[in-house]
Amino acid sequence: MSLKKFGENDIILNTMKAHPKCEFFIFDGRIYYNNVPEQAGAFSGRVYNIPPGHISLYEYNIDKATDSNDFIYPFITKEGAGSSFSTVSDKTYSTQYTWGDTITSSYPMSASITREYMVQAGTRSIGFNKQTKKSFKTAPTYRHFYALKNRLDFYGVRSEHYKVSSSYGDKNDQTINLISIPSIFYGSGIKPGTLSLKWYFTGSLVGELRDTRQNGELIEVSGTNIGSVAGVALYDEGFILLTGSWALNGESINLINGGSADNPKWIYFGAGANDTVTQTTAGANYVSASFDLSFKGITETQVLTMFAHARRGEINYSNNPTFLIHSQSQLDITSSQIYQENSSRAIYNTVSSSYLDYDARFKRQVYISRVAIYDKNKNLIGVATISNPVLKEEDQDLSFKIKLDI
Amino acid sequence: MAVTTFEILDTTKDVTTTRTLLHESIPLTGTIVSGTYGAFRSEGNIKNYTHGQFQSVYDYPYLSSSANHIFDIAIGYDESSTLSGTTNTTQQAKKINMYNQFSQVLLGYTGSNNDAKKFELDLTLDATDGFVMKEAVFVTLSRLITKDQIKKGSVSVTLGTGSWADPFSDNAGRGRKTLTDASASDTGGTANTLGGDYGLLYELGAPNLVRGLVFYQAGILALSTSSWTAPSAGSTKGETGLEFQRYDTDASSKKTVAQVFTGSAITGACDTIRHRIQNISFNNTTEINSTIYFCRVPHNTYNYSSNPTYLSSSTIRVKSVNTDTPVSYITTIGLYSSSNELLAVAKLSEPLKKDPNNELTLRVRLDY
Repeated sequence: MSLKKFGENDIILNTMKAHPKCEFFIFDGRIYYNNVPEQAGAFSGRVYNIPPGHISLYEYNIDKATDSNDFIYPFITKEGAGSSFSTVSDKTYSTQYTWGDTITSSYPMSASITREYMVQAGTRSIGFNKQTKKSFKTAPTYRHFYALKNRLDFYGVRSEHYKVSSSYGDKNDQTINLISIPSIFYGSGIKPGTLSLKWYFTGSLVGELRDTRQNGELIEVSGTNIGSVAGVALYDEGFILLTGSWALNGESINLINGGSADNPKWIYFGAGANDTVTQTTAGANYVSASFDLSFKGITETQVLTMFAHARRGEINYSNNPTFLIHSQSQLDITSSQIYQENSSRAIYNTVSSSYLDYDARFKRQVYISRVAIYDKNKNLIGVATISNPVLKEEDQDLSFKIKLDI
Repeated sequence: MAVTTFEILDTTKDVTTTRTLLHESIPLTGTIVSGTYGAFRSEGNIKNYTHGQFQSVYDYPYLSSSANHIFDIAIGYDESSTLSGTTNTTQQAKKINMYNQFSQVLLGYTGSNNDAKKFELDLTLDATDGFVMKEAVFVTLSRLITKDQIKKGSVSVTLGTGSWADPFSDNAGRGRKTLTDASASDTGGTANTLGGDYGLLYELGAPNLVRGLVFYQAGILALSTSSWTAPSAGSTKGETGLEFQRYDTDASSKKTVAQVFTGSAITGACDTIRHRIQNISFNNTTEINSTIYFCRVPHNTYNYSSNPTYLSSSTIRVKSVNTDTPVSYITTIGLYSSSNELLAVAKLSEPLKKDPNNELTLRVRLDY
């Protein structure tokens, strides 16, 4: 079999950028992702076996239930490589397992958005060291905010509203509503200009934030304070920090665990999104609030495009045994000294005739059904199969465009 | 942050490779294979095709985006089988083609005429007549669940060998039969052929009776009809005249295994086989190759940082007296190519304190 080499213009590598839309609707402690309702199965109340609003990592364990339709689970054997699951600590790995033991984990793994309500986000208690007789600051109460402080200042060049401390106030002393979005939902970043946060009170829209300037500022486009910035978004990291504490209407609602009722505000946006706030812990009218968070992500896929050419006068022969007329002798002469193949074997005529009992005149033609890709060492590395075989006549030029997502 | 010094990795001492095998336990219960997602023979998770060559089984009704393809079922027999050429044969050419297709792909060819090899219930493939499996049920497991390969010695298939109405729990008579590849392991009990390694599926409780084959890399089970027909000595389950299929109460609709193989279309035969699968379970394997770089930090280097925050008013933040030894906190390791191009970055879960009094070896593992 002869191989054809790709020319310098036959291979193109480019990047395909896509923007998957994500929408989360939060109501009564439940999150609805892309308006997909919960689906019940024959064995399990939830087909994916994950909480609502979550995305399943491998989408394994569909409609599974213990005993009746057992779960798929991963396991690993403790051996020299020292590999384990991240849920097993180094100490547990060393002390609880001996060589050859099986370490198990579980599926499904899932992710969803999380909300954190942080009063005085920069709070750090003061401790006292009796030995040195010096006071010291303890670990921050809200570590997630602390971890983001450098990043917020870094984006300060984009907008003053990002800065931890600026003319707009000091975030350390403010109440911050932090919404964390796992990257599985958006890819490499949130597309600037696509963020929309809607606050509904008893089903009516009372406020909407959008990043209309595409610089991360979340600006109220609907509500009582249109044009004001209620927070910022970290597009690449997947975080939204809301600090807007003005009333969106004159009603009162309980959205804080054990707290008193307050007006609807942006700092309460997303209450119930994996933050332990429920009707029981907050208050009876908690269910009057619902929230909608939508954005578009950015995914980048490298695409390798290859053009395989079947030029006229080439690729006109097949090694498929059915290419030759059946029952012809393969060998002409064979002995202990000679092995000579039959050089006059006839090719089967595949030219279609338009008439009954009439064979069309022979023409050299093949049907191309697949294109194989080899590396420089002639190792087969991929096969592209065509949905229907393509007729290639001797005087035809054909080019096959093969695309491979990397 | 600009890097001004590099530690050269000695490939003989600082770099090593490891291989980890990650497994998953895959239980496929017969309840999802037959009768759960709709009435038998019209289940929503069973896909039939107009070509009629095989039947696909999903773990959920396949019109749902939640569904995963888990395996295909097909039957076939060799043209030298006693079933070949019998009267009342349905889709005979297709069944022979299916057998040949699987045998060509999995076993390859033999002899001067390049004949496709036949499946044999042993590890020798020497065409010994008594072991040739001329009729077979093929279960092609999805790559999604077999991953790189099936773990040797982990396969278990439980088949119903009882009556049509009660194929599994009729233990007093024909009962059910469990096939396992118990003799196969990473160190032996398998043979290698064109389609990769294969092992034998023995009948549980009758260790000398081989009822099928399992191809580990290809993820294919080839089950012999002897699982249901008359057993050899030592097994009490299964019988020649087994009521293998009986779709309605009419006694005339009863079919034996041979009658199903010849008189039913492949799709119909697959329906019957699904009715008689109680459980398929195995462990899959994913091979994770890793390169480990031992990044050694000597006592007298990396005690200083070029991070702008390291200095405050031109003095080192972490030093209060100028005679103190320098201190730095290592947070990140950059791996560079020989052309000084940054290839990868490893982050530590927490910064490590480094001063001239200590030396560190940081183990960086790269999985691929």
